[in-house]
Amino acid sequence: MTASTLPEAALGVLPRADGSAKYSHAGYTVTASVNGPIEAQRRDEHPYEAHVDVIVRPAAGVGGTRERHLESILQSSLTQIILVKNFPRSLIQVVLQVEDTPENDYVNTKLVQASLNFAIMPALFQTSVLALLSAGVPMRATAAATAVAVVPEDGAKKIVVDPSPRQIEIAQSVHVLAFTSQEELLLAESEGDFTVKEWDDVYETAQKICCRPASTKEGMEMVLDEEDAGGPDMRHFLRSTLESKVTADLHWK
Amino acid sequence: MPREAEPSLNEREFVLKALQENTRLDGRELDQYRPLELTFGDQYGVADVTLGKTRVLAKASAEVTVPYTDRPLDGIFNIATELSPMTSPAFEVNRPTETEVLISRLLEKTVRRSGALDTESLCLVAGQKCWSIRVDVHVLSHDGNLIDAACFAVVAALRHFRKPDTSMEGGVLTVYTPAEREPVPLSWLHSPFCITWSFFGEEGEIALLDATWLEEQVRVGSCTISLNKHGEICQIAKLGGTPVEAVALLQCTNVALSRAKDFSAFLDRKLAEDAKRRDKGGLLAELSAENDR
Amino acid sequence: MPLDTSTYSLGLLRVDGRRWNELRRIHAQIRTQAAADGSSYLEMGHTKVMCVVTGPTEPGPRRGGNVGSAGGAGAASGGQHKDAEVLVNIVIAGFSSVDRKRRGKGDKRTLEMQSTVANALAASLHIHLFPHSQITISLHVLSQDGSLLAALINAATLACVDAGIPMTDYVAACTAGSTSTYAANDESADPLLDLNHQEEQELPGLTVATLGETDRVAVLVCESRVQVSRLEGMLAVGVDGCKQVREILDRVVREKGRKMIQEGTVERGTGLNDMDVD
Repeated sequence: MTASTLPEAALGVLPRADGSAKYSHAGYTVTASVNGPIEAQRRDEHPYEAHVDVIVRPAAGVGGTRERHLESILQSSLTQIILVKNFPRSLIQVVLQVEDTPENDYVNTKLVQASLNFAIMPALFQTSVLALLSAGVPMRATAAATAVAVVPEDGAKKIVVDPSPRQIEIAQSVHVLAFTSQEELLLAESEGDFTVKEWDDVYETAQKICCRPASTKEGMEMVLDEEDAGGPDMRHFLRSTLESKVTADLHWK
Repeated sequence: MPREAEPSLNEREFVLKALQENTRLDGRELDQYRPLELTFGDQYGVADVTLGKTRVLAKASAEVTVPYTDRPLDGIFNIATELSPMTSPAFEVNRPTETEVLISRLLEKTVRRSGALDTESLCLVAGQKCWSIRVDVHVLSHDGNLIDAACFAVVAALRHFRKPDTSMEGGVLTVYTPAEREPVPLSWLHSPFCITWSFFGEEGEIALLDATWLEEQVRVGSCTISLNKHGEICQIAKLGGTPVEAVALLQCTNVALSRAKDFSAFLDRKLAEDAKRRDKGGLLAELSAENDR
Repeated sequence: MPLDTSTYSLGLLRVDGRRWNELRRIHAQIRTQAAADGSSYLEMGHTKVMCVVTGPTEPGPRRGGNVGSAGGAGAASGGQHKDAEVLVNIVIAGFSSVDRKRRGKGDKRTLEMQSTVANALAASLHIHLFPHSQITISLHVLSQDGSLLAALINAATLACVDAGIPMTDYVAACTAGSTSTYAANDESADPLLDLNHQEEQELPGLTVATLGETDRVAVLVCESRVQVSRLEGMLAVGVDGCKQVREILDRVVREKGRKMIQEGTVERGTGLNDMDVD
């Protein structure tokens, strides 16, 4: 039910950070702040490039191995798109605060979960990209991520975009893919068992969501028509969010 | 780690001179709060409090655990306040600063030690099973007066929170999922609120409420008073700083009491509004649960 | 075990035989450690603390965290203040209370007390005379029987006097309580001065520290639930108690000064000329 709702985002929500963004989609709400480039600590300092520090903080409880894992994935992908060579010996700090996660009404949630949670990745990824844009950190390209699950349904296998916690429970495999705005594959993480054919399908679906070609007016309507099948158009969404922020900021001109 | 920018000498003088003429930079009265906003999340136990540019998010959660061996009849109640680099890059992960320790102590004394939550009601099976209630305080943006905002958020989150319903039958404990039974509210005894006074001037003769970050940086002392609407002091903390006349402190306490009553009324109103908003959803959820069977 | 208040109302005596406005015996010494810049030993009843002050010195390497420090500028900037930084370190001995409880380095109650003592003294010491330097106050708690924070502040004040750091006046502290519980709103409840451990557990109380002979309150800490109407009485008794404590501390300092002159440790007129030695 929540999966079909459109993503929402706001830029510059925190007055004291260099850049910030709030993003909510598919039941996940994440706020991010970006500070940087700032002075790096001795142990993080890299002589040739900026160190990208990602901190993921769960809504409840202390961060554990799960958050560390998400951090390491995000860190390596963000390092790829930020022009880190421009800021040697400095630090770009991305803090992601999870505010809301969809609840599974049929299971009592445990605070400390060691299991992976790929479904939250797209929200974290989109928020960090938006916050980086809001902070004006130079980037090679923007990027968008999406989560796709392969769910068995009546004997057949169905590909579900932005799966709900209940769908993840029954899914055979869950994948997270991120594409840059130049349609390069930036990140691919999978769990569960799947065939190469399934992965190809997943890849195609994800690519369709992350890098739908910029469409004309007529194309827009077509996009709206196939919304149900393909899910939201992430690239267009990032672009329009930023555009509206810029128009609002430059309103006085 | 990067340092917090300190106000320049000019800024400092400007704020102080203005205060001596009873003027604050944002045009507020000395005892006036910035606009306070409270929004509840879609889930139970999420409170988002905005006080001017200060923003605090509190989330309450519950879990079944084993009680402490020295208190077998009590549940566990914790308030976690960890300031992340989101608040300011000067805060480091896993290294508590003085501000963080003082805030967490103040919240603990105000909410936990004053017995606002009945911990005995959290006991499920004596010595074996109990609820562990945890409130996580996330400071999203810090523009002064963190303590009052955080305390308000914690109290609001806990009063809004619902924990899963349980039953005991023949020594078997069942914890119902939200789909099976509507979660139940916590047994709440009283709502304390923190009110922080900041003092300025050579002898701390200028006192004001709800200081902004700039004002906090130039103040000579502060005093946090926690009260509930019944006129009970839960905690007072004037931890050093420039000495202030005892009589002035008594006056501060009286003003604080009226503010605490305002806060209490505001929270009650917001909770009632939220309950009304949820009412329809609640009925629907009940119906759908019946259909499942 | 509940406090037997029936005895109190009969004889108006407290569990240890004091009346409502009586302090416990305060015994204090200064210059107890020959090697230190300043040192003191203080007993308030069975609460026993010792204090050593080092400084003002050049700031050493920064310790982890910055809890328990109060500098003029406030921010942690590695001693580059225009005011001296006051650092307080409190060690509570394992044998100091009945139940042997280990307190780790990160114990928040101790950290809070450190910060309180540091901020209280920083407001009285003339820290602006020592830029880019640091004053370290080490407090050791040997025995606890209530009024711990008050004893720590008093001991730190004495040690700072001994160290010869210029200060406005004594920061003297004591506790005050009330015989009513928080729920009862009985008007007949009496305020009490200087709570011991048992009273601290059972009754609402607060710690007050005042500056010199004035009514100005430097520290006011209340950690129990109490009616607002009780506050005025408790505060009045507390402030009055602080004045008594100040007298006692002053006597200790003068006594020691006289002795040192008589023994010839210091010559008359080396910074002690305004002290009247009879």
